Amino acid sequence: MKEVLAVRDMQVRYPTSGGLAALMAGKRATSIDVVCGVSFAVAPGDTLAIVGESGSGKTTLAMGLSGLVPVSGGDVVLDGNAVAMNSKGFLQPDRRRISVMLQDPVGSLSPRMTVQRLLAEPFRIDPELADDPDAAALRLLDRVGLSREFAGRYPHQLSGGQARRVGLARALAQKPGLLIADEPTAGLDVSIQGEMLNLLAEVQRDMGLGIIMITHNLNIVRHAATDMAIMYLGRFIEQGLPQRIFERPRHPYTAALLAANPSVNPATAIDRIQLLGEVPSLFERPRGCEFHTRCPRAQDVCLERFPQRQGVANTQVWNCVNPVD
Amino acid sequence: MSAPVLNISNLSVNYSTDRGTLHALRDVDLHIQAGRIVGIVGESGCGKSTLISTIIRLLSANACVEEGEVLFQGEDLLALDAKAMRKLRGNELAMVFQDPMTSLNPVLSIGRQMLDIQYRDDGSKAEKKSRSLHMLERVGIPDAATQLDRYPHHLSGGMRQRVAIAMALMTEPSLLIADEPTTALDATLEIQIIQRLRQLQRDVGCAVLFISHHLGVISELCDEVVVMYAGEVVESGGTRQVFDAPKHPYTRGLLECDPASIQASDNILPVIPGQLPDLTDPPPGCIFQPRCDRSVAQCSSQRPRLDGQGHRAACFVATS
Repeated sequence: MKEVLAVRDMQVRYPTSGGLAALMAGKRATSIDVVCGVSFAVAPGDTLAIVGESGSGKTTLAMGLSGLVPVSGGDVVLDGNAVAMNSKGFLQPDRRRISVMLQDPVGSLSPRMTVQRLLAEPFRIDPELADDPDAAALRLLDRVGLSREFAGRYPHQLSGGQARRVGLARALAQKPGLLIADEPTAGLDVSIQGEMLNLLAEVQRDMGLGIIMITHNLNIVRHAATDMAIMYLGRFIEQGLPQRIFERPRHPYTAALLAANPSVNPATAIDRIQLLGEVPSLFERPRGCEFHTRCPRAQDVCLERFPQRQGVANTQVWNCVNPVD
Repeated sequence: MSAPVLNISNLSVNYSTDRGTLHALRDVDLHIQAGRIVGIVGESGCGKSTLISTIIRLLSANACVEEGEVLFQGEDLLALDAKAMRKLRGNELAMVFQDPMTSLNPVLSIGRQMLDIQYRDDGSKAEKKSRSLHMLERVGIPDAATQLDRYPHHLSGGMRQRVAIAMALMTEPSLLIADEPTTALDATLEIQIIQRLRQLQRDVGCAVLFISHHLGVISELCDEVVVMYAGEVVESGGTRQVFDAPKHPYTRGLLECDPASIQASDNILPVIPGQLPDLTDPPPGCIFQPRCDRSVAQCSSQRPRLDGQGHRAACFVATS
């Protein structure tokens, strides 16, 4: 199938001043690499889950794709056409094709607008989408499983789950080809988490959406994703089919992440791979393989260069010289 | 059996709101023996936070303790005056909050804050400093001596939470209350913190009341678990008993919904249908009856009680 989105070697770099002292000493502006060369593709009906800890660059990647932060390199192809970049480095995708469900469900809705107005807004901005914005807004409400009584409410009168549904409805207004869902279940209770994921799956099936789901909850990836990528300090260190990766993770970080998933089943706590220390700061990016500072399997060569990619493309690939068996 | 450190019985707490009286806690019973880790699990709105605020007496102004008592080492906390309560807090009764960024003072160094918390103790500044240092090492902070001079914003989330735990345990409390201390942390750090907490609890010998909505975390850390739903305790017992053979339909529902426990990889997940009841007007019978798939006629008229000892559930049709 033709993919909605193909990304090759995308990079995002943030400039840093290094503080006032550095400026006064006349030092050159430095930068930190937040996303360093990721490649992936999403086909209609597919869900790519991007998993990683805070600060691994997941959200920055999403913001780069939707043109909200400038990217510093890479090719992005949307619906078969290369996405242009403006002079400041912002990608200029057709915004009607990429929708974003932001992480903070209530914070991403204007507190001064009712649900009705929030949902009708896209139709007012682009009259080609619907003849009657208000009727279209109500149809969206039905689409995400909220009763019409919610139309008159303000965002602060919604629960986390309901606000997420409104966020999803807004994202669907323009019938996008790709939906970027940033932590769609963060902060939701387990019983509501399932409802949200079921709704996403239903919408995806009906509209043939491609979804990029950013999460640090591994449990939902197994159920909701058709592809997954594990991100560590801005790189995809393992990538492939979820069933393969869950069954046999090869990168030590993936293995540790899977094992660190606290479970009600006491058997899983046995054989846990312990990681030492914490995620290094982006300002002090380790040399070689970025994971060597915490890796129980690190070798001398890991300190020298970032490992080559290994494995079978589109099935499971990893960047490690001493993978887990 | 040793005397309970905390003994809450029949506790009911109301909030007066614009919409009427909100029954946030109803007839809550909870006992914590010395040296045990008890987990409270429940979803948003189940009354976890109200319960903690009642214990440490930090309820908001519109709250009112309707009835019940909170005995801490035999003393009713609800009857203490503000001064006596202040003596207990942070000393005998310590707390770790959810967000370590807001519980640490951003304008004071870690060392200063750790010194301040020892204000009750005699001893020279140097002694207190070395005790701080020792405590930071015990919670696994690398290069502890340098960290004392640093400020909260210099530290990562995991380090901050460890500092908060170190400060809470500094006074060797009898009871440590931890309110979702790992929610803001990533999976690999979460496990580190839980294991560290477990070990420190053994060393210090305090009892721990651990609040979380993460079933896996509760399962790995706690000796006993209390399941709360809409302001009531619906089930309690030993962690393995409750998780391996849940009695209450709500507990069963929760465990079934937990994506971690579902092995099948189809993408329709089970849910508990329905919504939380309106607590300004709770149902007359069982609080879970409107959402329960096993309810019988009795459930909508009579309230089930949490009776007996050990593993128990407030349910008429509880599976045993």
